Amino acid sequence: MAIKEPRAEQTPKPKRVSPWRILTPVKTQINLAMAISASSALFGLAVMLQLMMVVQRLIEDPTTVPWLWFAGAAICTVGAYVARLGAFNQAHYAAFRLERVLRTGLAERLARVSLGYVETQGAGALAKVIHDDVKALHVFVADSTPLYARAYVTPVVTLALLIALDWRLALVTLIVLGFGYGILNGAQKRRRDMVRKYNAAREQVSAAVVEYVQAMPVVRNFDSGKMSFGRYQNALDGYLTVMLDWYRAAGFPARFSWLVLSPMPTLTLVLGTGLWLTSAGDLSVSRWLGVLLICTGMAEAMMPMMMLRHMIEKVSLSVARIEEVMTAPELGQGAKVPSDTPLTLDPTAPALQFENVTFSYGPDLDPALRDISFAVAEGSVTALVGPSGAGKTTVARLIPRFWDVTSGAISLGGHDIRDMGPDQLMEQVAFVFQESFLFAESIAANIRIGKPDASDEDVIAAATAAQAHGFISDLPQGYDTPVGERGVFLSGGQRQRIAIARALLQSRPILVLDEATAFADPENEAELIAALSELMRGRTVIMVAHRLATIRDADQILVFDRGQIAERGAHDDLVAQGGVYARLWNNYEQAQNWSLGGERTPQAPVIEMVK
Amino acid sequence: MMQKAANVPPRKTSASSFLTTFRQLADSVGPEAAPGLRWSLAGLIAAAAFQGFGLAAIAPLFTAAATDPDLSRALIWFGVMIALMGTASGLRWFAQGFDFDGRMVRATWRLRGQLGAKLREIPLEQLQNKRAGELNSMVLGNVDENLLYALTVLNLVFTAIVTPLCAAIGIVMFDWRLGLLLLMIFPAIVPLYRWRRPALGRGKRILGQAHQEASADVLEYTQGLPILRAAGRAGEKAEKLSQTFHKLESIQAFGHRKGAKPNIIVASVVELGLVAVLGLGVWLVVAGSLHPATLGAVFVIVVRLSEPLSTFILYTAMLEVMEAALERIGALMATKPLPQTEPAQVPKEFGIQFKDVNFTYAQGDGQAISGFNADLPERSLTALVGPSGCGKTTLTRLLLRHFDPQNGAVTIGGVDLRQIPADRINGLISVVFQDVYLFNDTVLANIRMGRPEATDEEVRAAAKAAQCLDFIERLPQGWQTPLGEIGGRLSGGERQRISIARALLKDAPIIVLDEPTAALDTESELAVQRALDALVSQKTVIVIAHRLSTIVGADQILVIEDGTLMQAGKHADLLAKGGRYARMWAAQGAVKKWSVAS
Repeated sequence: MAIKEPRAEQTPKPKRVSPWRILTPVKTQINLAMAISASSALFGLAVMLQLMMVVQRLIEDPTTVPWLWFAGAAICTVGAYVARLGAFNQAHYAAFRLERVLRTGLAERLARVSLGYVETQGAGALAKVIHDDVKALHVFVADSTPLYARAYVTPVVTLALLIALDWRLALVTLIVLGFGYGILNGAQKRRRDMVRKYNAAREQVSAAVVEYVQAMPVVRNFDSGKMSFGRYQNALDGYLTVMLDWYRAAGFPARFSWLVLSPMPTLTLVLGTGLWLTSAGDLSVSRWLGVLLICTGMAEAMMPMMMLRHMIEKVSLSVARIEEVMTAPELGQGAKVPSDTPLTLDPTAPALQFENVTFSYGPDLDPALRDISFAVAEGSVTALVGPSGAGKTTVARLIPRFWDVTSGAISLGGHDIRDMGPDQLMEQVAFVFQESFLFAESIAANIRIGKPDASDEDVIAAATAAQAHGFISDLPQGYDTPVGERGVFLSGGQRQRIAIARALLQSRPILVLDEATAFADPENEAELIAALSELMRGRTVIMVAHRLATIRDADQILVFDRGQIAERGAHDDLVAQGGVYARLWNNYEQAQNWSLGGERTPQAPVIEMVK
Repeated sequence: MMQKAANVPPRKTSASSFLTTFRQLADSVGPEAAPGLRWSLAGLIAAAAFQGFGLAAIAPLFTAAATDPDLSRALIWFGVMIALMGTASGLRWFAQGFDFDGRMVRATWRLRGQLGAKLREIPLEQLQNKRAGELNSMVLGNVDENLLYALTVLNLVFTAIVTPLCAAIGIVMFDWRLGLLLLMIFPAIVPLYRWRRPALGRGKRILGQAHQEASADVLEYTQGLPILRAAGRAGEKAEKLSQTFHKLESIQAFGHRKGAKPNIIVASVVELGLVAVLGLGVWLVVAGSLHPATLGAVFVIVVRLSEPLSTFILYTAMLEVMEAALERIGALMATKPLPQTEPAQVPKEFGIQFKDVNFTYAQGDGQAISGFNADLPERSLTALVGPSGCGKTTLTRLLLRHFDPQNGAVTIGGVDLRQIPADRINGLISVVFQDVYLFNDTVLANIRMGRPEATDEEVRAAAKAAQCLDFIERLPQGWQTPLGEIGGRLSGGERQRISIARALLKDAPIIVLDEPTAALDTESELAVQRALDALVSQKTVIVIAHRLSTIVGADQILVIEDGTLMQAGKHADLLAKGGRYARMWAAQGAVKKWSVAS
């Protein structure tokens, strides 16, 4: 079925997100780290000045140890070192805390958005945001912020000190810096354009890699790799072209500016100029030394600054994805039903009712459902059938509010589901879907979800009714057996029966089944069906079914076709009508009686048929 | 081999690991670029050395300028320094040409092409191990990132090791006491760092594991969200998740403390060295055997030396990543394809035999297939049935030679698979998988990949026989519709029919069907069934089936359990005999009759 853009797309996405904003939860700590880092830079510069003073005192009087300056230099060295470590640690602990805060926030947000949002974004993609994108912030938060403070404080203070020491030498360093910066800027001109091309080329490469590696069995069986290898090679070629282009356009200026901004040219020029000035008697040796000690500070700050810029660009994608989830629309609740009191259902209203429901997956998409109205009496079984894409699954998922209707209303016992609190709604409805999800915990814990206070006896009773007690007892640790990640240690049918036991234990009046038997292997199918029968007993059931034989005896069959209810009624009447359902039933019976190769005739080689 | 690459073994900590890294790097860039790379590395080392000597020249220069009223001596030293520094810059410029002329980019481009080609011939068993698969994607995807910075990182390493060493040697010539002290401090740092590196690795490993666990828990949360919410246990009530995040934070802090240690040690040595040089220098001056100006010059040099060291530490993570990537590349390139025995033979007939086949997965526990014998005559239809995990799929993978049996043999037309060239085996067999993989290309190209030289008419005929025409013509751009964008909008049945058309076009004599109708809706099922009927006529067919009713017409049914053959025969015979198959048949019959109200 075609699931398109999520509704969240309606709100315009923030285009460029500043990574700094995401730091808000740990702002104080980061500011502290930056302040400590700045002070470490200051300590470092102080060491240089004190070294200068040590030498100056020794020149004036080579026989006395300048204890004060000497001790000062030693202390500031240690201070700079300790402060650097402190800033580093602060920033790291802040980064770790930020990761936790963001992850918790994201997980809580997901608990309040529509499940449809979760489904359209994909559980895997959302997990990536919560884990990988948050993790990607680390380098920025932990490593960059202290550097950032240094990269700004060092050049400014250095310049001031240089001017104070000797303005002519300060000018020399500024000229070198300006020269280097000019060239560097030249190299940056087409940068944005280049970065875009580079990212596009990279993305193509990784898409080609994923396709190529994942599909390797198919690749080998069908084209010995020619076609997909060609696509992979094409992507590599495109990437190569972009890179070579970049080197041609920006290679020389980038390389040249690195050379100019490296410490050597500054040092050499300051030495030369200083030599000339001292020989003219215009500069004292100690001032010259002081300038030599700090003169490279400005040029050296350029590289970290460029790195930071690059890093911020890199994380901004992650930040944008995090913010997008953080601002995903929450499910609203009309204030009509107080959400903390148990719900009182109107016994005269239908257990479940759709009234003129129209729904589309996005504002510019054709409605997936059009003007659907039906009522389900308490304790009855309603089956939803129809060709794929007709809207059956959409109907099933509107009931637990995976999405909200575009127009019309869905009500349970007379209450609009949008007026109910999320917990109130969930207390009424239980679901069993195609593939049931188990948590990597024990079997008992998996059954107990939703009724944590259930006794062991209740759990066993539910498992027994769900035909699961037998295989559970055969397991080495019985109910305490861990089921593995996503329940991998169990077969599809076993997982499904545990899900049924879970639903039985929850004991909710309305049951929604979406092809609950689709993935069962034949071995388990009989037991699964017995379990389902047990679960359906006495409940109001809405079920999506492909195997039409299973719903012959449903109280009401709704036949969907292109988003509308084409026919409704009981099986025999519908077959007699000779419409959509009759056609489906006919196809179904034919498919049931098919056996592979039944039409194999030695006289008709396949290639003849193809031609 | 892959296993080894997956858990990178603890690396050697001596200088020899540097040499290994060089060698791996040279291997990776290939024979054409390797000499250039070697020259470039030599250039970088020489540049670092010249830079060191150039720095050392500052000492006599500065001393001369401060003590000698005659400028000529200072000017000579200034000239020496400029010459040395200029040579260093020139050499570095030349060496970085390897990057900037695009030779490195070309080399990684070539390497990725080679790795891709390699992937086509390594045993599929290794590819399908999920971890190895991810690893390979990573290698292919990140080769450039890891190698493109190689010269930049190595340049930093050389400036951190060679430059201080040469500067210290230069100073020894001028003042042996200070020079010796420098010689002791700075070169000691790098070995010290490498010696302490295992601690860094330990911290990383602990952290990596914590991240892996957290990642799994997060995925479980998002996947289980519908159930958690139905149970009222999402959001702030998800205690387990919250615990995981707290645990991760404390492990991060712990790992940080552990991992920061080598850095702290190196930084401490640098700082202490600075103070020691300061102390010794002052003492020498006061003792009258050193001029204060020389001491000042030494300060300038020492400050210059400590700078590359701190950047080096900043970039060591990159060095680690590069080394690990090189190792993985080496491991992947060293993977051997399954051997082919001589003389090569191509079967003329297409009956299949399994003879006493035993097979155990490399990472599995216990035999997946044991003592398996079966004879599948040419143009017969054989069904494999049995509970999931019993070995049905393993048998088809043995036939496709994803791996070789440890004992016994699989033959096609009497020829052992190991004698058939790899690409010929794939030419003999078409597989229709349960999960259809459509490529990011047009519908036409997706079908044509079955036989690239097929004409448009032939592709069309195959699509028609596979019941594809109606929906292909409904697609927005018809045959030219790119499936990358809309692949998800096709139903399971439609995707399956495209894959059958592909197989029809290929027209291989042997067909393997792996539950091709397992997850289809009724309407698609009928169309897929028709398509399959077109595909299997006149072929040797192996089908894995869960629904027994679909294979009642098979020429033989093989009932498999725990990797061994339990029963074999035609449907009617097996039913008459009773036993496993008959029981399965009865169970499925009961299910068929089930209806909701019963």
